[in-house]
Amino acid sequence: MAVSTILKAVKQAIWVGWKVETNWADPLVFAIYYLIRPLAGLLIVGFIYLIGSGATGVFNPNYFAFMFIGNSFFIYVVQIMTTMGMLIHDDRSHYEVLKHIYLAPSSLWWYILGRALNGVMNASISLLLTLGFGVAIFQGLLHQQIPINWFGVNFPVLALSLVLGMICFVALGFLLCGINIMTSRVQFMLSEYVSGILYLFGGVVFLPEILPSWGQAISNALPITYFLRTIRFAFLNQAGSAFQTDLLYLAVTTLATILVGVGAFKIAMYKARKDGLIDRKEEY
Amino acid sequence: MLDNLVLNLRVAYARLWVRVKGGNREPEWLVAEMFIPVLTLSAYVFMYRMLHAPPEFTGFVVIGGTMIAFWVNVLWNMSAQFYWEKETGNLEIYLVAPISRMAILLGMALGGFVNTTLRAVAILAAGILIFQVPFSLSEPVTALLMFFLTIVALYALGMLFASLFLLYGREAWHTANLFQEPVYFLSGSYFPTSSLPFFLQLLASFIPLTFGLDGIRQVVILNKGIADVWLNVLVLVVFIFVLLPLSKVALNYMENLGKKEGRLTLRWQ
Repeated sequence: MAVSTILKAVKQAIWVGWKVETNWADPLVFAIYYLIRPLAGLLIVGFIYLIGSGATGVFNPNYFAFMFIGNSFFIYVVQIMTTMGMLIHDDRSHYEVLKHIYLAPSSLWWYILGRALNGVMNASISLLLTLGFGVAIFQGLLHQQIPINWFGVNFPVLALSLVLGMICFVALGFLLCGINIMTSRVQFMLSEYVSGILYLFGGVVFLPEILPSWGQAISNALPITYFLRTIRFAFLNQAGSAFQTDLLYLAVTTLATILVGVGAFKIAMYKARKDGLIDRKEEY
Repeated sequence: MLDNLVLNLRVAYARLWVRVKGGNREPEWLVAEMFIPVLTLSAYVFMYRMLHAPPEFTGFVVIGGTMIAFWVNVLWNMSAQFYWEKETGNLEIYLVAPISRMAILLGMALGGFVNTTLRAVAILAAGILIFQVPFSLSEPVTALLMFFLTIVALYALGMLFASLFLLYGREAWHTANLFQEPVYFLSGSYFPTSSLPFFLQLLASFIPLTFGLDGIRQVVILNKGIADVWLNVLVLVVFIFVLLPLSKVALNYMENLGKKEGRLTLRWQ
């Protein structure tokens, strides 16, 4: 397939995704919607920190920054998993367009990739809004010191981590699409399972070192752990942090996720075509 | 009059039966609804442990995580249910039947309560067993009273929200989505709301779950009694007496508006 055809398919899918996500609201309402949920999540962990620290009388601003960055960047996981976890169900059963997309000259792969990129775009909007309002609320209103030098962010490391992380999460999303095409009625729980497991074991709001040894082993195998470590390195500039090693682990675990996610999706599509599942309609 | 009551009780029972049967026939759903909340709850427990917070905070998280199961049920299986019914074509059948909409909602609420209680008990048990929560309960009747008042107030709120879905589609869907985490935060699902700034406490006071959670925690974890939580009981009773009639008025209003605007059977909106 020509590169221009692929790019066109991806562009159209991004546009469709944007329209599906936003056409129920005006831009301001949409922005509020994309701010409130992640901000509420950040406020929950922020207040857990403030109240938990208040109970012991020990405030550790470095831990607050650790948790602030981790929880904020976890938005990418939630958004991509939700978008890609619901995509097959929505297009196949709800809007009944999956069979038309499958029949189109372009591949379903590029359509799904475009929808995933729309999820990345929406997550980026959420992230920027959440970081801005998070700093305003905690530092401005609640006078909680956040030891982040916003002008000293290591942008090359941040960009590299983001690129690898997005590739990894989108590959994980392809795995969800593969499972969804073979099954029905699991779409809601799948994305929540993945997000929940990554949230608990990925070192999002606490150091994985306090998990039991089996939990630490799971944490060490997850790309999110290394993604957040490199992101934190970019923001917090922790001296002595082995970010090169983390970046290498992120690349390796991303590669493994691509192999599993894309491989599973390929097998699922082959079986779905063979078993007549592409236009299977349930629930609606 | 009596015939009408019997009819509507049968409607409620029928809707309850469908809810209980439908909610428990798929084991993967059952497992997911017990397991997924434990993941988030565990993350917050580990956060408190990292901060070396006193053990009662673990209890706060476990109780909050358990009660959240009811809020999620109210939001998605009560409020948003009319959205599903509209999409599957059931809503018009409900509306033309000679029955009360409140009876359908009552059946949904009772069925949802039965299902969610099964899941909540599992979440609570997992929380207690995994994290060794230090419970200290001397007035179990007060704890049960607080629990049931909270549940009734929550489902009454769900009935009120359900009216929105008669008229709106995705807007209401996104609104339900929007109410999930902000309510976790404001109601103090993972921390005591007494530590929130005043204006946030004021906002939180519009949510029945805030008073319910606070009361249950005081009785179950801090070993307090009815003398300490009578205000919570009173507020929950007020919530129930305000929300139930309000939901009936809202249902009638939204149904009439939906008829006028031709949106009651509109799918994919």
